[in-house]
Amino acid sequence: MLAMRESYGYELSQWLEASGLGPVQGGTLYPVLLRLQRSGLVEADWREGGSGPVRKYYRISAAGLETLRLTTSDWHAFAHHVDAILREVPAR
Amino acid sequence: MSPDEWLDALAGELRRAGVPADLVGSVVAEAATHLRDSGAPPASVFGQPAEYARAVAESVGWPDARQLRPGPGPVRLEAHGITKAYRRRPVLTDVHLTVRAGQVAAVIGANGCGKSTFLRICAGLASPDQGTVRVHGTLGYCPQDGGTSEFLTSDEHFMLVGAGRGLSRSAARGEGRAHAADLDWAAADHTQARHLSGGTRQKLNLVMSQLGEPDVLLLDEPYQGFDRGTYLNFWQEVLRWRDSGKAIVVVTHLLNQLDRVDIVLDLNARERVA
Repeated sequence: MLAMRESYGYELSQWLEASGLGPVQGGTLYPVLLRLQRSGLVEADWREGGSGPVRKYYRISAAGLETLRLTTSDWHAFAHHVDAILREVPAR
Repeated sequence: MSPDEWLDALAGELRRAGVPADLVGSVVAEAATHLRDSGAPPASVFGQPAEYARAVAESVGWPDARQLRPGPGPVRLEAHGITKAYRRRPVLTDVHLTVRAGQVAAVIGANGCGKSTFLRICAGLASPDQGTVRVHGTLGYCPQDGGTSEFLTSDEHFMLVGAGRGLSRSAARGEGRAHAADLDWAAADHTQARHLSGGTRQKLNLVMSQLGEPDVLLLDEPYQGFDRGTYLNFWQEVLRWRDSGKAIVVVTHLLNQLDRVDIVLDLNARERVA
């Protein structure tokens, strides 16, 4: 999601929920963001948004984009194999 | 718990979890914006402050201080065969205690079993009927109560005690305020000691005992009147002082911290368990 545009925690949690990934509570979300920030995959800074108050905005870094590219192809390969197995399971 | 109370509690838990101060501010501010945006109760979004603080600390990968701890150093305090009676009633009988640099000893026992007397003897404020105390280095002593002067401000206390330990006025004031801040106390006001709350007066006492960085700290139940957060911070500080190489003796009747100390001197049982 951050590869599409920068965002802040609360907006990301709403976005995740709207995408059908269920409610991801702040207690889960922020530690993950912090870990991504620590490992240099996302960058963050505090500033005012277009309309809103001061928030911590996250955006993907160059290293993050590279990691995303690699893990995306890994994911597709993995999903492809799982799909292939599932197709062989006879439907009842 | 109101959002503000929850955020305050979170800040305390983060500090205790060893999260650096600048990150504490950022994590708390971010949680505050989230709560304001969502309007949801803090516990449903983040869980309990302690749990959330632990999750944050794990994300940061803060090292566990216990693993970095060096072994104990040279002997700092030796109390040997201490015996004391008040009007023929024996209070202490042949009590031994040896504390090395980098160790915490807890002195426990029922009321009236001589805990404070033992500490006063170690501090040189009372003399034993028999036995010897040897202190290798400088000594700080925090009494259970008293020790503050009604009409002096905290800064004046720091400078007065600091002068006795060879600190300049500004050094004593700076050191005192820094130690006070570790106990969540902003000591830089001009309130006379008589107008401070009991808990704050105890903090003042505790800070005075630390001025000049003594090698041995003797603390006689120094946390009376502390709220829960400050009490936990106090133990955190004790462990930090220990890890910086001080020898510490704490009189306590609260048993829940005993797993964190190195030596327990039980004056009921009259024996030393190492």
